[in-house]
Amino acid sequence: MQTLLMHLNTNNDMFKLNLTIALRNLWKNKTSSMINVSGLAIGLASCMLLLLYVSYEWSFNKQTKDDKNVYQVMINFDGPAGSISGTGTSTPNTIAPALKETYPAVKAASRIGDADTRLIANGRNSFKKIGRFADADILKIFDYTFIAGDEATALNAPNNIVVTASTAKLLFGTTDVLNRSVRFEDRVNLKITGVIRDLPDNTSIKLDYLMPWTLFENLYEWTKRPMWTNNNWTTLVRLNPDANAEMLNASIKGMIKKHVADATSSPMIFPFSRVHLYGTFTEGKSTGGEIEQLRLFMGLAIGILLIACINFMNMATAKSEKRAKEVGIKKTIGATRASLISQFLIESLVLTLCSAVMAIVLVEVFLPLFNNLLGIKMNIVYANPYLWMSLIGIVLFTGVVAGSYPAFYLSSFNPLQVLRKRRSGRGMWSVSLRQVLVVVQFTFAVILIISTTVIYRQIQYLKNIPLGYDVNQLVELPQDGQLEAKFELLKERLMKSGAIQGICQLSGSMADYNSNFWGMEWPGSTETDRHMVFSQLATTYDFAKTTGLKLVEGRDFSRQFSSDTSAMMLSVSAVKVMNLVHPIGKIVKYQGDLRRVVGVFQDFIWGAPYRKQDPMVVAFRKEGTGYVTLRLNPANTPSANLAVVERIVKDINPAYPVEFKFVDELYGQKLKSQKILGLLSNIFGGLAIFISCLGLFGLAAYSAEQRTKEIGVRKVLGASVANLMQLLSLGFLKMVVLAIVIAIPVANYMMNSWLKKFDFHTGISWMIIVMAAIGTIAIALLTVSYQAYKAAKANPVDALKYE
Amino acid sequence: MIKIENLEKVYKTEEIETTALNGINMHVKTGEFVSIMGPSGCGKSTLLNVMGLLDKPESGSYKFLETELLTMNDKQRSNFRKQNMGFVFQNFNLIDELTVFENIELPLIYNKVPATERKRLVNEIIERMNIVNRSGHFPQQLSGGQQQRVAVARALVTKPKLVLADEPTGNLDSSHGNEVMELLCELNEQGTTIVMVTHSSHDASFSNRIINLKDGHVISEKINKSRTEELI
Repeated sequence: MQTLLMHLNTNNDMFKLNLTIALRNLWKNKTSSMINVSGLAIGLASCMLLLLYVSYEWSFNKQTKDDKNVYQVMINFDGPAGSISGTGTSTPNTIAPALKETYPAVKAASRIGDADTRLIANGRNSFKKIGRFADADILKIFDYTFIAGDEATALNAPNNIVVTASTAKLLFGTTDVLNRSVRFEDRVNLKITGVIRDLPDNTSIKLDYLMPWTLFENLYEWTKRPMWTNNNWTTLVRLNPDANAEMLNASIKGMIKKHVADATSSPMIFPFSRVHLYGTFTEGKSTGGEIEQLRLFMGLAIGILLIACINFMNMATAKSEKRAKEVGIKKTIGATRASLISQFLIESLVLTLCSAVMAIVLVEVFLPLFNNLLGIKMNIVYANPYLWMSLIGIVLFTGVVAGSYPAFYLSSFNPLQVLRKRRSGRGMWSVSLRQVLVVVQFTFAVILIISTTVIYRQIQYLKNIPLGYDVNQLVELPQDGQLEAKFELLKERLMKSGAIQGICQLSGSMADYNSNFWGMEWPGSTETDRHMVFSQLATTYDFAKTTGLKLVEGRDFSRQFSSDTSAMMLSVSAVKVMNLVHPIGKIVKYQGDLRRVVGVFQDFIWGAPYRKQDPMVVAFRKEGTGYVTLRLNPANTPSANLAVVERIVKDINPAYPVEFKFVDELYGQKLKSQKILGLLSNIFGGLAIFISCLGLFGLAAYSAEQRTKEIGVRKVLGASVANLMQLLSLGFLKMVVLAIVIAIPVANYMMNSWLKKFDFHTGISWMIIVMAAIGTIAIALLTVSYQAYKAAKANPVDALKYE
Repeated sequence: MIKIENLEKVYKTEEIETTALNGINMHVKTGEFVSIMGPSGCGKSTLLNVMGLLDKPESGSYKFLETELLTMNDKQRSNFRKQNMGFVFQNFNLIDELTVFENIELPLIYNKVPATERKRLVNEIIERMNIVNRSGHFPQQLSGGQQQRVAVARALVTKPKLVLADEPTGNLDSSHGNEVMELLCELNEQGTTIVMVTHSSHDASFSNRIINLKDGHVISEKINKSRTEELI
């Protein structure tokens, strides 16, 4: 026991002494330690931020217990000849009850209404928050945490309402709100029967309050009717754990057609947790989606960490050769190999640990900014064991890998060798390994530079694709409450106010593709033409005038022609696919009615800007309400205009708050995922390059120091500063050039396949590649030459005296 | 104490073979102070390194207090070295990151001496070496002579049976050199066996016996009468 204790004690002392040496070493080389630690910290922080984002996206819709059993009902639409033309997430109101009734495998099924913001009032103040209607089964599908109320009965009566904690606080300043009354949409009073904890940010079913489906049916009589082909709502189901989804899918396929003989849609269940990331469907099969971008980010995260680790290793090994003397002395005095190995490993682990601490601080500091940029709410859950496990894992891995070369290589030295001729420790292997690492690092950096530039240019290109209408000064607001019945009054008062130049009502938002149909007939159309899919929008007067849409032929709907109430307009590409030579005046059968074509308009971007637009029909329909679209008067400031508009709208429709949306902002949303990609690749690409340069800076310093004597001799013999700088920089330059040569084809290949996803895209011009190459060389040269200059300018006498 | 027979050591590189030790026979008695002299490349440093178990000869025998050392494996050699030998180098070879105290303490840690005992031993030797007021300094803050004193202190702190010194005054001016030589003499008088490699006949004059090497052979041996008599 005594000896064991003694043994432990001396081991402990050795550890302390080694730690002392490590820390003093760090302190002595403050600059290089800082470079090393902060480089790794930046790398770790970048990696953590990216992985945080990846895990945020990855855990989308996965917060529910047994999320594997939760499925979303999708609707496949028949295309021509037995194909599936598209897959949608909106379902009829009949699927959920039918599924639950017919199939025992379905444990719970719920219809869920859309995520519109709706009015909720506490008696004095009213707020517009996201309110959803759903069947009571939703509480069996999700495991919402009830702070108050009974989960089993909360949604059982039509006048019940469940609110989230923050909604409760907003309304009443407390979560203790059970049985209190709120007023919904200024129409009914509801009793709060449950308070649930706020939902996570990364769920598709966001809500601030939840109401029973029965209330929805009471409020909107028409929704009571079973409608098998009206796809309007989300349907989620929870299957029994032992259920077979494949088999269920096979048996529900004909469900809709069984009830409606000429229906063209069939339901399909798809794992809810996959909808967000694998939401792209071809022929009814998931073929990817956001996951592709996520993989890119994961690669970026690992790449950055790798670059930082390479730096760290390079610096550690480079410096370790200076430590050979210390190893020699210790060995002579009696150090064992094991104690030396542990010393170097401890040293590098201490450094890595410092970096990790710094990285956590960096992440905490930059997370709010990062969240803001991405428009999401992520936070670090320190209680999460996975976070710690992965962090410790990364620290251990980096520390051990970085420390292992000096540890095992240096400790193997014969003490005589290092004490006598110090240079013999520098094997060919170590040098070439370091060179390989630098090349790998810069290859990655160059790939990032090229990719970032291409992505940036593609986004600019997409931004500059002509929209087809004038998006500036265009504002839309939902046509709620009185705004439908009193639209003419609204129009008159607004026009008179001088705040706007035009106003029209539309069935949907101008900014987003929201409706399509097929089955149109026109003079000369064939049976297969009936399968052609058109997008559609309904409006009344002044559509073109308000939006700035360009008419190619004919005219906009006009009051001067009373027959215009049954007229329609076609897009240029619609005219083309319909093969109409003189479209104006042609009679077309649309939605069962005969309509006359009065105008042809230039295609405008309604769907994704990088896709070809579907042929489009704009029809006159008074009852097809949804949005009021306004063009503000550019003579006044937008805020002045909006103030006037708000006053008038409030006057006509007092029960509702006025919510404007600028169409250009909405349009900007379309490129959100591309923008995130651009943003992240810019930030982290820049960081990767920065870290690479930090490493190069350190290596150059080390190399200059190692060659102090050589430089001194050369200088004494007459070399100029320029000569010496060239001598010192050339080696690094060669590595960077090699990296560029490797990176160009790789980047070219990667970016070409990325660009292929877009119908409209830019190319990778040789200019980008040349600029990237020159830029990298310039940055690398600048980094290295500082050190080279310092070394070359030094007094040779100092260099030669040393040794 | 030491008996060396027929020691041979050959350095091989790709092109040439250099015979550094060519059948060396010598002995060192306990309490002796032996100098090894000879021109550059005569093999004197190699001999010292072999004696210090830092280098391995091709053949021959090396007995230390009747124990044959050349048949030992690396671990045994390392253990034997740290328990029985101390080293003093020409360029001091102190660890720059450690203070005087810590440098001297280091071999004790490797010998697993408990902390309180270490403190006592180090303080004792620091006092003996007259460097008490330097114990918190780092090597770079000391003069060459002081550094060598620290190195000698480090060599002695484990109370080795044998101290091996490789040109201990080589990097010092004459007054500091003399100080170090006097220190070694003093140690020798207190009973430490010393083997020293030197170029300087002045330094050699401090020892009991001088062995001259040339081309890997012992060519002559001279008893330093004045010192030996003084000893007796």
